[in-house]
Amino acid sequence: MIEVENLTKHYGTHLAVDHVSFSAQRGEIVGLLGPNGAGKTTTMRMLTGFMPPSDGTARVAGFDVLSDSLAVRQSVGYLPEHVPVYPDMTVHGYISFWARLRGVKNVRQQVDAALEQVQLTDRRKMLVRHLSKGLTQRLGLAQALVHDPPVIILDEPTIGIDPQQVIEVRDTIRQLGENHTVLFSTHILSEAEQVCDRVVIIQQGRMVAQGAPATLRQQLQSGAHLYIEVRGANEAKIREILNPLRDIQSIEPQGNGFSLRVKPGKDLRAAVAERVMAAGVALLELRPVAMTLEDIFLDIIKRN
Amino acid sequence: MRGVLTVFRREVGQYFASPVAYLIAFALLLITGLLFNTDLTYSMRVKPAEAALIPGFLSFALVFFAPLLTMRLLAEEKREGTLELLLTAPVPDSAIVFGKFLGAWFYYSLLLALTFIYQFILLAIAQPDIGHAISAYLGIWLYGGAALAVGMLFSGLTENQIVAAFLGMTALMFLWLGDLAGQIVANLDLAYVLRQLSLQGHFSTSFAVGLLRAEDAAYFVGIIAVMLFITIRIVESHRWR
Ligand SMILES: Nc1ncnc2c1ncn2[C@@H]1O[C@H](COP(=O)(O)OP(=O)(O)OP(=O)(O)O)[C@@H](O)[C@H]1O
Ligand SMILES: [Mg+2]
Repeated sequence: MIEVENLTKHYGTHLAVDHVSFSAQRGEIVGLLGPNGAGKTTTMRMLTGFMPPSDGTARVAGFDVLSDSLAVRQSVGYLPEHVPVYPDMTVHGYISFWARLRGVKNVRQQVDAALEQVQLTDRRKMLVRHLSKGLTQRLGLAQALVHDPPVIILDEPTIGIDPQQVIEVRDTIRQLGENHTVLFSTHILSEAEQVCDRVVIIQQGRMVAQGAPATLRQQLQSGAHLYIEVRGANEAKIREILNPLRDIQSIEPQGNGFSLRVKPGKDLRAAVAERVMAAGVALLELRPVAMTLEDIFLDIIKRN
Repeated sequence: MRGVLTVFRREVGQYFASPVAYLIAFALLLITGLLFNTDLTYSMRVKPAEAALIPGFLSFALVFFAPLLTMRLLAEEKREGTLELLLTAPVPDSAIVFGKFLGAWFYYSLLLALTFIYQFILLAIAQPDIGHAISAYLGIWLYGGAALAVGMLFSGLTENQIVAAFLGMTALMFLWLGDLAGQIVANLDLAYVLRQLSLQGHFSTSFAVGLLRAEDAAYFVGIIAVMLFITIRIVESHRWR
């Protein structure tokens, strides 16, 4: 449904998206993950036919974004980062406008269905300017799905709304995933993990990893972490004590203790305990820490 | 075509939902009503009622009215971010521009139609020169279209409606002043050219005196075409930023 190959975008001399390639199958929910300024919005703008790529190709629903722009735009529902609204229109009028503009046949029926899907039916007569942030977000979702497009592209759909609304929006995205291909961006990793079948991680315009959240976790777990807490030794002392253990890659203070990064596949628990106690330092706690996807994400970003 | 119609419908709806548009309608009727009243008093047994009274007044007032009607058209879309969504709708960019322009021109036509009431009053109490009035109205209708097209162009250049209105008024002022400039320039050829470029130069001595000339209509249509063409390019340019 979405095939992106070496997609590139320059803003003047600034390289915002740099040879990104990924794809999304029918009915798949793909998360575009990256820190601020990674190029998520730029990538999405190229996929929605808003701006042409500088280089590379992208096909959406089988149409090329450059040569078949109108067909692409017909097949995509798009929710930009800041929900674009007409404050003076009613909820119903607003959705109807977008439905008509995209050539929907039974406008009334489709609009009602879209409002139902985001639970805005009882506010249909309200002016858009009077909607709360959460409701505006849902309005934006309704607009993106009113013409029942095969591909739905959502730019940070859960930003700036309260936790309850976040959960509802995520549920809606999951529902959409049953019948549509959904591409959505976020910088919240746990969100991608919960909602996506696959995540694509980009950073500074480059793709740094992609795969199912579980696979990514396995692949990228670059090393296990150990947490130790001691009494009677400061950081310098600990570094000195553990220095001979070559399999420890880094030592960082964390909370009341220290976090040790250990080479993958090594179990250093016994060795660490032995050395600490041999130095006459009281070992209060020693435990392995499972890396969350969050840590992995930060790790990848740091390493790049 | 679907795009033009959909955008057109929304724009017309917006005019009726917006207080600014009502204020403009109110001001227009108030001023023209006063003008008409004065002219009527003068005309008692002295001279026939002025057939091009309202169009004549509008030929100046449009310098200010037109940008107020069009300042919202694109500036608001840019500020609210709806332009991005419009540009990802499956319609050509030109459809968006045409739809908006036609919406503004339609609303202006309605305002103009409101002032027909004075003609009806005249018809009831005197024998006005209907042919002359029709010519003047036709002229000011085209004149208005051109002024709106100029106003819309400036709405596309900024996110700020006030700035859009101000720039539009300035540009229209220059187009309007061309007529005066033509009168104070000694070089006849230059004066002629200046006059031919001005809005007034194609109205005050033709449509306004009951003279229908193809070149005057062509001038206004030409201005509209050129302005819309540039506006479409401006809208398109948002894809490249
Ligand atoms: N119109 C523009 N002109 C110039 N540079 C731009 C423009 N839009 C974005 N950029 C730059 O391109 C890079 C990518 O921006 P983009 O908006 O795609 O990032 P993002 O991943 O969406 O970030 P965020 O999480 O903040 O929304 C950034 O460095 C940004 O400064
Ligand atoms: Mg963004």
